[in-house]
Amino acid sequence: MKSAHKKAVLSKVILYIILIAIALMMIVPFLWMLSASIKSDREVFQMNPFVWIPEVPRWKNYVNIWKKIPFGKFVGNTVYLTIVVTFLQLLTSSFAAYSFAKLNFKHKKFLFLAYIATIAMPWQVYMVPQFIMMRSMGLNDKLLAIICLQAFSAFGVFMMKQFYEGIPDDLCEAARIDGMSEYKIYAKIMLPLSKPALSTLTIFTFVATWNDYLGPLIYLKSQENKTIQLGLKMFISQYSSDYGLIMAGSVLSLIPVLVVFMCLQKFFVEGVASTGLKG
Amino acid sequence: MPKSDEVQKAEKIASLQERLTELIAAVMTEEDLKLKRKMIKKIEKLNRQIERLKSGSLLSRETKRDLVAYSFIAPNFIGFCVFTLIPIIFAFALAFMEWDGSNPIKLIGLDNFKNLGDDIFFKAALKNTIIYCLGTVPLTMIASLALAVVLNQKVIGRGFFRTVSFFPYVASLVAITSVWKMLFHPSKGPVNSILHNFFHVLPEDLPQWFSGALVLVSMILFSVWKYMGYYMVIYLAGLQGISAELYEAASLDGANTWKKFRYITWPQLSSTTFFVVVMLTINCFKVYDIAVMLAGGGSGELTTSATVLVYYIYQKAFIDWNLGYSSAVAMVLFAMVLLVTIIQFAGQAKKERA
Amino acid sequence: MKKRVISMLLMTAMVAALFAGCGKKGSSSGDEVVLKWAIWDQATTQYWTDIKEAYEASHENVKIEMVDLGSTDYMTVLATELSGSGTDFDVVTIKDVPGYATLVQKNAIISLDDYIKKDKVDLAKYAGATDQVTVDGKLYQLPFRNDFWVVFYNKDIFDKAGVAYPTNDMTFAEYDALARKVTKTTFGAQVYGTHYHTWRSTVQLLGVLDGKHTILDGEYSFLKPYYELVLNQEKDGVCRKYTDLKTEGLHYSAAFSGGDVAMMNQGSWFISTLITNIKSGEYDAKLCGNWGIVKYPHADGVEAGSTLGTITGLAVTSATDNADEAWDFVKWVSGEEGAKVMASSGNFPAIMTSDIASIITAIEGFPTDAASKEALNVSNLYLEVPYAPNVSEINSALDSYHGSIMTGEMSIADGIKAMNDAVAKILNK
Repeated sequence: MKSAHKKAVLSKVILYIILIAIALMMIVPFLWMLSASIKSDREVFQMNPFVWIPEVPRWKNYVNIWKKIPFGKFVGNTVYLTIVVTFLQLLTSSFAAYSFAKLNFKHKKFLFLAYIATIAMPWQVYMVPQFIMMRSMGLNDKLLAIICLQAFSAFGVFMMKQFYEGIPDDLCEAARIDGMSEYKIYAKIMLPLSKPALSTLTIFTFVATWNDYLGPLIYLKSQENKTIQLGLKMFISQYSSDYGLIMAGSVLSLIPVLVVFMCLQKFFVEGVASTGLKG
Repeated sequence: MPKSDEVQKAEKIASLQERLTELIAAVMTEEDLKLKRKMIKKIEKLNRQIERLKSGSLLSRETKRDLVAYSFIAPNFIGFCVFTLIPIIFAFALAFMEWDGSNPIKLIGLDNFKNLGDDIFFKAALKNTIIYCLGTVPLTMIASLALAVVLNQKVIGRGFFRTVSFFPYVASLVAITSVWKMLFHPSKGPVNSILHNFFHVLPEDLPQWFSGALVLVSMILFSVWKYMGYYMVIYLAGLQGISAELYEAASLDGANTWKKFRYITWPQLSSTTFFVVVMLTINCFKVYDIAVMLAGGGSGELTTSATVLVYYIYQKAFIDWNLGYSSAVAMVLFAMVLLVTIIQFAGQAKKERA
Repeated sequence: MKKRVISMLLMTAMVAALFAGCGKKGSSSGDEVVLKWAIWDQATTQYWTDIKEAYEASHENVKIEMVDLGSTDYMTVLATELSGSGTDFDVVTIKDVPGYATLVQKNAIISLDDYIKKDKVDLAKYAGATDQVTVDGKLYQLPFRNDFWVVFYNKDIFDKAGVAYPTNDMTFAEYDALARKVTKTTFGAQVYGTHYHTWRSTVQLLGVLDGKHTILDGEYSFLKPYYELVLNQEKDGVCRKYTDLKTEGLHYSAAFSGGDVAMMNQGSWFISTLITNIKSGEYDAKLCGNWGIVKYPHADGVEAGSTLGTITGLAVTSATDNADEAWDFVKWVSGEEGAKVMASSGNFPAIMTSDIASIITAIEGFPTDAASKEALNVSNLYLEVPYAPNVSEINSALDSYHGSIMTGEMSIADGIKAMNDAVAKILNK
């Protein structure tokens, strides 16, 4: 009995050691980023001795970044894009998904197949023709282009549909018998129930839009339309040796995503589980 | 005196009703399944006719139902159609043409694909992409599964560990690659500095993380680090679907941890694994930004040791303006993804039958 | 069902066409003409604004609207903007020849010959620069800036090491020896004798200075000694490693202004950058304030003063509704008036006369020694890349193998062979 207990304790200890090692691996680059962001260029690579917090922290880095490049403009553009895209994505996907999950209609299978077929199609395969088409619509160098690009993904519809299928049909039937219209059922019953799925989709969309690089690179050309990722990349290539400043910019670009993630994460695993993403 | 509309309608309904009862009676006794099905269809049709006559509306209930459903789908579908479906069709067509985006389009058949055969850059891009996938897919899968299994146990600070392992996924590539490039800086970075100071690696032997043969290794390690948290969450969701009774039963039989994993967890997770592998493969073939940001330097140019398919698509399209050729490369990318997905699906179907 | 899909596609196509119609701009309102002009790095480059203000001051009915496309991939972005229809640029700046070739092939910019004839513009004043960008007898851009490469050096480093300054007449061997003399490899206090930016031009174009080769030759064995020169220097710590530079994406201005680079080959555009940034305090004057320039080193038996030129030109788009006004702007900027504006901020206009050179050397912040002034006298100017129909593709291929040689992925011999093969394939198309 005793040896079994010992063994259990030992395996627990090993487990924690592994966990802490992994957690360190995950978090050290971020801590290093934070630390470098308040250092001067010369201190960043100083290894002997290495300090996490320099004697004189250079908070100035966080002020200067706003002066060197139109950082505020970049943040504004990205916030605008991310919010609009996320909102449209949630709305249109859950709307369409409701129909696929709970209504019967002609060509349902065919239409859904069109969605499914494109999930496996990488965007990169059709980005060139898509760009040419958008340009002929006059969308080149417009923020609207990125909205059109990101807001109607097949993935969102697929995910929400999986979730809605998990909600018993009886609930809708009962409401229909009560004389509720389909729109009302969607708004009053389905939407409030889909918090986990919506949170999950929000995280995915938010992260994807906030961090997208190739899309904005192709579409957004002029300085005043650039997103934070493009701006940061531009900044890095222009001020390549201002390590502290680059890190300060990087830290700032991470904050919003982390905040959104932290707020929604309690629904997250539940959301993934219930949207059938697990396969 | 002509019959009033009302009466006419009532009569018609009555006659339809009569036929309906007849049919229902016939269905009950019909033995042939095929005929039976046909009759049921007819009954449904009759029912609808009666319904329509009774309510006096122009649209049948079915059409109305369809319209409501379409109205739900429309906002997303129109956007999806215009911005995804049409470009996809366009992309397929473009692969057989020569076009620079301005001058008239020329149809050139399979020439683009023929030229791929002796294009050194294309071959390098294809090779690198495949190596990257072969490295990333299994490593990420194993790492994320292991992490999920551990974090599914009752451990203190589970929430913290889960959140932390998701950090790299949410972090933007531009920001996080610049950190990696500093950490692995070939002559100043802390990693090489440790190798030099503690393991006494000579300065000229220090690994050049972002060039030569090592660049693909760096790319693979980076993406495992960045994406394992994401797939871990999917595995966690899968693990929560496995009923605890299975494990209890196994414990009673005296199975050890490994056996439990081998005979319960792994088979129970097979559909999750399938999903993870398919998504991973698709995402790996799309690799572009990781390569450009880790190996591209300021100008973002990639040499043959780091070039990948999407980079080549981008370059051919937006720098050389050879849109047809770029689409042909894109088709190769699509074919690879399709192939892997089909193999996966076939394997999955076989497993389920077995 | 099929019919339905087809009709749906048609519908969306129609909607698309409708959108396209709306995208057109409303041009000149009333008498005032607005010219939209594509430029890069407005914030860090003074002369764009100078030109705009000077032109608007003398042309009341014209407003210039500048659009900053960024310098990193300016020509790529521009080509995207101008492909097909739907652009609303009137005047575009041409940054390099490969990008120019692309725009000409796409018919995105118009031939200026008729205007040149009509307004009797004398092309001779561009000293042959326009000949090298003439396409099938037609000229599509007028240069307004003509930069050439020189060697920048940090006098303080030479003083501290007690080594004589570089001169206007150095062979490559002398240049190499000098660089090695000032190099210090002490860890933490390195001094690099020289610095090569990651561009292919900084290495490969040393090879075309003898006038016997061009970069479009298709046979690149003449590059071997120059790759050996640079790679040996790298090995001995005389210059920063290419892989390090690539990892950091270190900008050449950051390298030179850091105060640990003794010599750096770079274009004359860096002169005005240095002057303005030292004045504004952006660069630490203690580190790089005491600088000078000398002519490029040369091969044995070749006259000193041969260097590479890069022209920057202006072109009129084929989509513009105000071609006449756009041409007038191009003509003005490329002409004598524009040249003065350029020179006043330390930039080299395409028309170089002696008084324009004296405007530049008289600017406060320009090195006062005689050698630096003399360095501006160029004897032979070779264009970095002359025009050729496939120049863009050749460029990409050479760039890629340049990277392979510099990172050590390929030996010099293998890299040159790969260049020969790749370019032969492009030329045979």
